[in-house]
Amino acid sequence: MEQLLNDSMYTVDLGNIDSAAEIIFRLSSILDNSEVRNKKICLKLGNVDLNQAQLLSIKSLIGGINSILASVDTKSVETERVALSLGIIVSNVSSENTTDVTPAEPYKTADEYIEQVQQEAVEPETAVNTEAQNENEAQVQQDYAEEHREQSEKSEQPQDEQQVQNDNNSDETAQEEQPKEEMRDELDVIFGSNPVESSIFNMETPQDIYEDNHEMDDIVVPEQEYTKEDIELESFPTKYIKQTIRSGQVINYEGNIVIIGDCHPGCEISAFGDITVWGVLSGIAHAGSGGNQKARVRALKMNAIQLRIANCYSRRPDSLNTVYIEKTNSFTPEEARIINNEIVVFKIND
Amino acid sequence: MAGRVIVITSGKGGVGKTTTSANIGTALAKNGHSVVLVDTDIGLRNLDLLLGLENRIVYTLVDVVEERCKLKQALVKDKKNPNLCLLAAAQTRDKSSVSAEQLKKITDKLKKDYDFILVDCPAGIEQGFQTAIAGASEAIVVTTPEMSAVRDADRIIGLLEAAEGIESYKLLINRVRPNMIKSNDMMSVEDVENILSCGKIGVIPEDTGIITSTNRGEPIVNNEKSLAGRAYINVARRINGEDVPFLDIDEPKNFVGKLKKFLSNLGKHGKEQ
Repeated sequence: MEQLLNDSMYTVDLGNIDSAAEIIFRLSSILDNSEVRNKKICLKLGNVDLNQAQLLSIKSLIGGINSILASVDTKSVETERVALSLGIIVSNVSSENTTDVTPAEPYKTADEYIEQVQQEAVEPETAVNTEAQNENEAQVQQDYAEEHREQSEKSEQPQDEQQVQNDNNSDETAQEEQPKEEMRDELDVIFGSNPVESSIFNMETPQDIYEDNHEMDDIVVPEQEYTKEDIELESFPTKYIKQTIRSGQVINYEGNIVIIGDCHPGCEISAFGDITVWGVLSGIAHAGSGGNQKARVRALKMNAIQLRIANCYSRRPDSLNTVYIEKTNSFTPEEARIINNEIVVFKIND
Repeated sequence: MAGRVIVITSGKGGVGKTTTSANIGTALAKNGHSVVLVDTDIGLRNLDLLLGLENRIVYTLVDVVEERCKLKQALVKDKKNPNLCLLAAAQTRDKSSVSAEQLKKITDKLKKDYDFILVDCPAGIEQGFQTAIAGASEAIVVTTPEMSAVRDADRIIGLLEAAEGIESYKLLINRVRPNMIKSNDMMSVEDVENILSCGKIGVIPEDTGIITSTNRGEPIVNNEKSLAGRAYINVARRINGEDVPFLDIDEPKNFVGKLKKFLSNLGKHGKEQ
């Protein structure tokens, strides 16, 4: 997977140079090369301590040729600290102290996540929850843009059914109320309780719909930050693949990927944007491989051996080790996204 | 401390190389040795599946060779046994990704830190095989009591003798069915040994439990009741230099069978007297 990442990146190896001035000198001569233009650059440094001014000048050097300094690979603690303060990803693959790289955490299901949030929420309640909520709300918007086809279908769902669903949810105990509430809000939006909104959908931005739709006043919409990442995701091209992806096959695309078919164990799918699998996802999926934290992985059945979103890794829980997944017609679509630096899998119909 | 590098090979596919590697590795680790299993079957890896470590692999052998990570980073620790590590093969590449010299370099490095390095060899006699045996000084040739497997094992032994590094090799006869041997439908263990004129290190009976254990991702040596599991544990002890008698694999499963065997043994004794 790292190799895939490196294919779209340009690695500049200056690991053997031990003075800051020399690094800048060598870098500027490398950057004259036209290959390096319009690329994401991964800078490999050795033991050199760079201060903020030096790193900034390196960054502006790279910016000068329309490239981005995507990550820095350094052994020096000082450089690492400075790079982090400038918002540059630090990958110390080569440093000695990161020997244990096995993805430690299995990915969580929504229920497990809610449980965890509740436990954490006992004391620092507001901090954790608002953060999660912001995240959720931002994703709600995105769902609008990307799942409008499902939405227009689902919005014809009879009102009573919607009611039943809401009733079910309100039966939850008071303790569970807070996180469930968020999810219900989201459900309402995804399934569209008002048929009007799906008809105007294509013309209006999600923000406008929120404002026009009075029925949804009870939903607390925080100040939406429509981040750079959202815009980036929407501007990505999409690759449409209609076949089964088998073991050993690699799909790597600088955009979104839609796969109509199953992804068997042993395949690797890596996309700069979202990955949507209309089938069983059992291989390795890496959404947002260019670093987009808002990218997501969706599948009719999530059985992925490993899920990676941006720089988050998670592995399949050992309890999910099923030999064979029966293909029924009652799959509940699932979606994985990053919440508080963890990958959480949501059942869309939970 | 210099570890031993043992390659597990067969020539023919499907005779149980990977199962043998996983089980011997686990058995050695259970006995307190530090073990690294190296899967060299690039593109058709299975060893991770047998150990149930499929979801933990981040870096592979190819990543180590191409210097995208440190050797230590690519070693996946077993779930239960901290002595056991796996160096997985890449699934999305092919055999040409790793050369013999590169693998030798890796096994030489591993030798310094671990007691045993077991190399799981791919089927065939092409580059993958040549790569796998490069770093090894000992070999275990896995075969089954079938003519095709024995022929292929013969070819492999020839190649091992010609190879420079291999100092000794032993035979492991897998999937033996005592009932079929009795009814003369299968070559006996002695027949196989005679045909190949090669000493054996173990005889593993056919066991349906292997299939379940493979599917569950748990080596059968963890199951004390399984005959095949005990046979593998004995192989591991023999590798370690212990003198362990060969198991009586003709062990009846039910009570009636046990009674029959007991009576027939009694009868034999009576005649001898």
